[in-house]
Amino acid sequence: MSKKITVGPVGYMPQSAPSMGVELSPEGKALLYGNIVEEEEAMRDAAKALLTMNNPTIFPGPQVLWDWREDVADKSAAILDLASEIPNCKIIPMPDYRPKYPKIDVKAEINPNHPNLTILDNKIKACVFIGVHCHYANLTLRMIRAGTSCYTVAMCAMMGHEEAMASIRDVHADSIVKFKDIVIQVRNELGIEHTTTMPPENPSLPKEDWGSLTPADYGEYRALIMSKKGEHVTAVE
Amino acid sequence: MSLNKTLVDMDYLLNEAPREKHFITGAQAMAEAVKRASVDMAIAYPITPQSEVMHLVGDIYAQGHIKEYYRAEEELGTMSAIAGAARGGVRMFTATSGPGLLRGLEAIVSWPGHRIPCVLGVLTRVVNAPLSIQPDNIEMAYLMHSGVVMLHAENQQDTFDYTLAAFAITEKVDVYIPVSVSTEGFFVTHAKGYVDMMDEKYAFTEVDPYHAPVPAMDNEVPPARIQRDAPVQKSNFMSYLIHSVWQQEIWDCNSRAMKYVYQYLGGPIEVINPDADVFIVASGCAAAQSREANRYAEEEGLSVGLVKVKCIRPWPRKEINDALKNAKTVIVPEHNIIGWLSKEIKASIPNGGIVVEGPRVYGGMTLPVELIMEEIYIALGMDSEKLQA
Amino acid sequence: MSLNYMIPASKFKRYLPKDYVELVDYGPFGKKYSEVGVKNMGTYKELVEEHPMCSGCWMSYYIKIIFASLPNPEDTVTIGTAGCGRLAISQAAVPFIYGNYGDQNAMASGITRAFRLRFPDRQKDVITIAGDGGMMDIGFSMTMHAWFRREKFTTIMLDNEVYGNTGGQESGMSVEGAVLKMSPKGKNFGKMPAMQLAITAGCVYVVKMSPTNINKASKAIRRAIFAARNLGPTFIHVYTSCNIEYSIPTPDVFRDAKEKEKRSFCI
Repeated sequence: MSKKITVGPVGYMPQSAPSMGVELSPEGKALLYGNIVEEEEAMRDAAKALLTMNNPTIFPGPQVLWDWREDVADKSAAILDLASEIPNCKIIPMPDYRPKYPKIDVKAEINPNHPNLTILDNKIKACVFIGVHCHYANLTLRMIRAGTSCYTVAMCAMMGHEEAMASIRDVHADSIVKFKDIVIQVRNELGIEHTTTMPPENPSLPKEDWGSLTPADYGEYRALIMSKKGEHVTAVE
Repeated sequence: MSLNKTLVDMDYLLNEAPREKHFITGAQAMAEAVKRASVDMAIAYPITPQSEVMHLVGDIYAQGHIKEYYRAEEELGTMSAIAGAARGGVRMFTATSGPGLLRGLEAIVSWPGHRIPCVLGVLTRVVNAPLSIQPDNIEMAYLMHSGVVMLHAENQQDTFDYTLAAFAITEKVDVYIPVSVSTEGFFVTHAKGYVDMMDEKYAFTEVDPYHAPVPAMDNEVPPARIQRDAPVQKSNFMSYLIHSVWQQEIWDCNSRAMKYVYQYLGGPIEVINPDADVFIVASGCAAAQSREANRYAEEEGLSVGLVKVKCIRPWPRKEINDALKNAKTVIVPEHNIIGWLSKEIKASIPNGGIVVEGPRVYGGMTLPVELIMEEIYIALGMDSEKLQA
Repeated sequence: MSLNYMIPASKFKRYLPKDYVELVDYGPFGKKYSEVGVKNMGTYKELVEEHPMCSGCWMSYYIKIIFASLPNPEDTVTIGTAGCGRLAISQAAVPFIYGNYGDQNAMASGITRAFRLRFPDRQKDVITIAGDGGMMDIGFSMTMHAWFRREKFTTIMLDNEVYGNTGGQESGMSVEGAVLKMSPKGKNFGKMPAMQLAITAGCVYVVKMSPTNINKASKAIRRAIFAARNLGPTFIHVYTSCNIEYSIPTPDVFRDAKEKEKRSFCI
């Protein structure tokens, strides 16, 4: 099988997978490196990546993070079960789609407008996106392929994603359970010892204490806020 | 719906629902399609007296086929309100033309990036100055670079079928950008033709705003902190990158529409006499005249092929290349001065030099079949005076 | 029940950033105004916190008041356009649409009608918040016609009397004689009569104010939103100075607002 879509970094200006001739898989099939394959084949390859590459991470998106539909409870439980079967797996959510201001807490979340910051900072080499609206998933997956060496798995409730290395479509809670079973199977084949462990909880940074901020915290920009010796600034412009 | 409609999917509606022949204008055909599309809301602006589509859609609203309808202040207001309403999760329609299209263009070109699903009728008209209301499809050239999916109807039947299909294509999860259906003002909109239509009790299944690649902005879908169209205007590499992949996504959506063009329109082009040396390639009303030229040629014992282009965006590059691979001459009749179709064809085939750029008519001029025949005679090395004979 | 869309799935609560969890636990969603609102600002998690507005910006202060005053934040959509305001508005935990130039009231017309079609028994508030340029210059016809059509939503004009975001150009709401970019010899006509235009165009509730009193400001916003639900378009014309382009030292911003209140922006 020739790989049309490969693990990045593909470079400065990525070419989109559809423009490289990749088409979405039909119902019942999956995409693996841009090729249409059986769902199980894609799941096995994805499982192997998650089990063998550094810092495997699951990125749940808004559609599974919030309790807006009846199927969310089942899906979220299945995602956690899946995470518990992958050694050292983390869960880093994508809670919304607007760029983070003033800066993203890269240990605590990922954002579709600048996903590379989270991927690179956490040295994530394999990840799963699930519950992200398709438009943002496509953007994110392409940016990750452009600028990082991370293996991406898309578990999509709709039609899947050309940009991911492995794309599973029409994902419901039972397809996540199926993926979990394949992960366990592949793990046993690879001889990896693991006891079911829940991923660590979100390490959100404590609120910054602006009161104790010193010019040193501004690093190379400190000159911008420091007046020169003997300078007394009165004009406001 | 209070009118007791039978809601069916688009495949059934277009291909299986029993049809009856009617003799109606192109404007009526577009409105009849809207009637069967379970449109929630239409917004109108009276750009010209040149098409009555939005008047007829108003009548349909009064009859209860559409839930909401109003006349907006002008096209920019119309197109902006459509962007608002579509974000609110309803199915939208409007129609415009020429100068009106250009006035609304700021909003229209932002629709694909905003991932707005809607159907836009374009009943073509010249762009001023000097002032005229006559048909000429030059405004389509501006739309070609907007990311919008563009279908071009040859006649009243096409106008009906393409408009219906457009509602299905625009809401596909992997497309979800606007679809425009163009046809020539007057020549099609005001002329009557036979249209096979299904009974109006059949209608397209209603819109599902949650089967979408972006969250509807209705306070029902997470995330709570929605801003669908991120303000990515910081001056740093990641901001540039998100904008560039976003632009790519628009054109990817556009190209993904091709499989639905196959599903609902039977493909982006129609080919007649594929083994000919001389081809006419045309879209819209020019395709109707080209079809006549093809018939004349056949009567005269000349072998002339015809490629009708139904879909301008996504551009059927591969299909056109395949159809023209053995062509010696390609004649491209058009209803505009700049020749956007011939330019596209020239850029698509490896031997662009075989394209004859014309005949072209504009400013409301009709396209006599004889103009096309003359090019055919020249291409076949015949004495063009045969035309006078 | 639309509040569900902002309640974390129970399994995931411990995996969400604290910011989002606190927004639900300590934010104003689904709470009574007496428990939250402007009077209690600082005691609950507000909808807009960090934002990139200039130091001493009177507009960002007023935007915080708007979000603290929302009667129904979980069922509200805000719409804005290019300008300073949207830098803060887009940071709020309320859906925000940033459209094209000056199209906010046309877009609001569409989405308000869409909500009434889809949720006939529920109240969803639509609020357009834009600057003087977006509302009265480039978006003038769309603003006016939304009012003429009696579209039921609230329009808030943040009037800083200048195009602040683009670098300080004259706007239709700049005062006569103001020397600004694009009026190098001073503006040669006065402020556009936005209030009178709104009244003439059929707004059912119109307020012009300089928000020096937080309770009065909040009351006006809430009344405007309530009135827009059933009666018709409402309009708030509010003075939110640009301390950068008008060179108002930060400590004097409030005094400037007080002065404006006495002269052209008395309520």
